Amino acid sequence: MNKENDILKWFEGEISTEKMEQKYPDEDFSTLKKAGFYAKQIETPKIDAEKALEQFKTRSFHKKETKVVSLNTQLFLKIAAILVLIFGVSYFFFFSNTEVYRTEIAQTETLFLPDNSEVVLNAQSKLNYNKKEWQNNRTLKLNGEAFFKVTKGNKFTVLTNSGSIQVLGTQFNVKERERYFEVQCYEGSVSVTYQQNKTILLPGKSFRVLNGKVVSAKDFNNENPSWLAQETTFENVPLWQVINELEIQYNIKIEAKTVDVTKMFTGSFTHTNQNIALQSVTIPLKLSYKIQGDKVEFYDYETK
Amino acid sequence: MKKPKHKLCEESYFNSFYLKHIQAVSNFAFYKCGNNAASLDLVQDAFAKIWENCAKIDFEKAKTYLFTTVNNLFLNTIRHQKVVMSYAKESPYIDKTNLNPEYIMEEEEFKQKLLTTIADLSEEQREVFLLNRIEGKKYREIAELLGISQKTVEKRMSLALKFLRNKIDKVNI
Repeated sequence: MNKENDILKWFEGEISTEKMEQKYPDEDFSTLKKAGFYAKQIETPKIDAEKALEQFKTRSFHKKETKVVSLNTQLFLKIAAILVLIFGVSYFFFFSNTEVYRTEIAQTETLFLPDNSEVVLNAQSKLNYNKKEWQNNRTLKLNGEAFFKVTKGNKFTVLTNSGSIQVLGTQFNVKERERYFEVQCYEGSVSVTYQQNKTILLPGKSFRVLNGKVVSAKDFNNENPSWLAQETTFENVPLWQVINELEIQYNIKIEAKTVDVTKMFTGSFTHTNQNIALQSVTIPLKLSYKIQGDKVEFYDYETK
Repeated sequence: MKKPKHKLCEESYFNSFYLKHIQAVSNFAFYKCGNNAASLDLVQDAFAKIWENCAKIDFEKAKTYLFTTVNNLFLNTIRHQKVVMSYAKESPYIDKTNLNPEYIMEEEEFKQKLLTTIADLSEEQREVFLLNRIEGKKYREIAELLGISQKTVEKRMSLALKFLRNKIDKVNI
C-alpha cells in the first residue's frame, strides 16, 4: 500500500505532483489532481466575528451557578451542629458499652455474662453492666429478681437499690422488689451489705429485708430457686408481697382492700395456671377471689 | 505558562476566545454539515455551552472542547441536512492559460461533479478532506483538533480520496 501512502503525502504537500507522476508513470492522477485543486476553491461562509459575538450575547443562558454559591456559614454551622448531635447521641445509643437486659411481666430470660456466669432474670426485672469493664470489674446493677451462677474469679458484685451483694463464685438469688429485699445463697458463700452492715450467708441461708427492716427467715434446702421451675415459693412473707409477685407473673391487678395484707403466707404458686395459683394463695389464708377481666378481687368469705 | 482555571468565566477573556476561534470553528462546522446557516447555529450553541460551563473547562483545553462540542451537537441535531456547497467566485481553473470554451465547460462540469461527490462523502471523511484541502492542515493537526489519532485521520483521508476518484471517474465514463 505504498501508493496509497504516497497519495496521502502528496495531498499533505510532502510530495510534489511532478514526483508522483514520475514515480507512477502508468497511473492517471488527473482526477485526484483536479479534485484536490478545485476542492480548495470551495467557499466557506465568512463570519463577521464581532457581529456574531453581538448576536451571541443576546442569547439567554442557563448558567449553572455552581461556582458562585458561597458557603452559607450559618446554615453550615447549623447542619454541623445537628450532625455532631446525631453522631454524639447515636454513639451513646449504639456504641455504649453498657449492656442492658430487661424482662416484662410474666417473662423470664437466661443470659450469660462475658465470664460465662449465668443469670436468670425473673419477670419484670432489669439488669445492666459495662461490657468493656467486665474483665477488671465484675459489677452489675439489678432491679427485680435474678438467680446467679457465678463463675469463680474476681469479686463479683451485684448492686441493688436496697443493698449490694459480693461473692467470688457461687450460686445465689437476689430479689429486690418494692419494700422487699431478699438474698438467698445456694452454694459457696455470699456477702450482703445492707446499710453498711455486712452479713455472710452460707448455703441454705437467706437475708431478708421487709419494709426496711431486717427479718429472719427459715433455712431452705432446695438447690435452685423455685421460680426457675415456674413456681414462686414464700416462707413467712406478708400477703402484700405475695400479691406483688402474683401481679408480676400474671399481669393482673389484685385488689385486697377488705383483706389484711400483712397476714403471713407460707406456700407457693405456679406460674402456669392463674386459677390454681390464685387458689393456692387464697385458700390457706381463708380468702376467696373474684375475677373481672384482668382485675382480681380478694375478699374474706367468712365476713361476707 | 500557567493560567488560572476560570478565566473563561471572565467576559473579556471569553470574548477574545470567541473572536479568535469563531471563523475556524464555523468552517469546521460547515465542512461537517455543508450548510451555512445551520453551521453558524451549531457554533453559537457550542459557544453557549462553553459559556454556561465556563467554570468546569480548563482554559488550555477550551479549543478542543469547542470542536468536540460542535461535533457532538452536530451528531445530535442536524446530521440529516442537505450539504449545499459552492465555489468562490472567480476561482481560477487549473490551466490558467487555457481559455478554450470547451476546456472551460469541461472544468465546470468537473467542478459540479466534485461538489456532489463531496456532499456524498461521509461527514467524517468530508471534514478531514476539507480541513486538509481548504485549511491546508497537516494530518497531525487535524488529529489534534478532532481528538483522534493521526492514523484514523489518514485512513479517513485515504477512503475519501478513493471514493472521490471512483465516483468521478465512473461518471466520466
